[in-house]
Amino acid sequence: MKLKYILLIIFTGSLLSSFAQKYITKTGTIEIYSETPLFIIEGVNKKVASILNTETGEVVSSTLIRSFKFEEALVEEHFNENYLEPHKFPKSIFKGKITDYKKIDFSKDGKYDIMIEGKLTIHGVTNYIKEKGSLVIKNGEISAKSDFPVSLKAYGVKVEPAYKKAIKDDILLKIHFDYKPYNK
Amino acid sequence: MTMKKGLKIFLIIAVLGLVTGLSTVYYVFNKPHRNVEDETPSYTMDATALYSEYSNDEEASNLKFADKVIQVNGEIAELSIDGYQVSVVLNDEMEGVSCALDSVTIDNHKSVIDALKLGDKITLKGKCDGFDMIMGVVFTRCFIIE
Repeated sequence: MKLKYILLIIFTGSLLSSFAQKYITKTGTIEIYSETPLFIIEGVNKKVASILNTETGEVVSSTLIRSFKFEEALVEEHFNENYLEPHKFPKSIFKGKITDYKKIDFSKDGKYDIMIEGKLTIHGVTNYIKEKGSLVIKNGEISAKSDFPVSLKAYGVKVEPAYKKAIKDDILLKIHFDYKPYNK
Repeated sequence: MTMKKGLKIFLIIAVLGLVTGLSTVYYVFNKPHRNVEDETPSYTMDATALYSEYSNDEEASNLKFADKVIQVNGEIAELSIDGYQVSVVLNDEMEGVSCALDSVTIDNHKSVIDALKLGDKITLKGKCDGFDMIMGVVFTRCFIIE
């Protein structure tokens, strides 16, 4: 009789943990935007992966620098060869969490303003960041967005003196992930 | 007379110089993107083989494959079609080759792309961007070969 209860507890326990939800995307996008009177730089990377654990609020995302595409081939070349140097630092990674994840009910549709904090690694340099974002939950899928600036200097990206006026130190990143449930 | 001739030559040279200068600037700023579609692939291989090389030694594989045009074949393990974003994952959802198709191929092969389904054998050619812990080997600017 006791055994039966124990088995029942184990069974329900494992049942519950199988609901421990993870969400994933492999087609997230990051847009880069910089505007000065001299020059507008616009780039996009559509190969960004991210996993969101809704039980702990943890977020991991990663992308390859070489996946960034620019309208002008020349800008793309410079971005790679002179600035981000993917031959030395091929990827960029974010590890952190949604700090106020507890207020979110992931089981039903809704919209939330969120705070994200964690470690962002670009160009081999890791910085702690804390930024605002938004979440939209609809039909069991989660759409997450966040726009924030990153300083080139803070990530050790050097701008040649000749381009100092054409490229701002603060580059705007627009991040958009459409997460789908990941059951594995 | 000679004076006039000298001026004429000077003017011709000046105009020629200006034209070459301007066209160089124009060319540099409007330099075309690398033509992945017409480039002969550096390697032609199976998605599984490429993945296992990368998972064995990422750094060495990056030196060998990154930024190169590679033709890869495999079975479609995951498909995500969303307007201009078509992504095909070969062989395994996590341990495979994840390919983002080029917008040109998306325009030209709309019906082919719409007909793609899981398990289909496909050959793609694209630029290898490297290795990601979630996506596996990542390709961009991919074209459908067959």
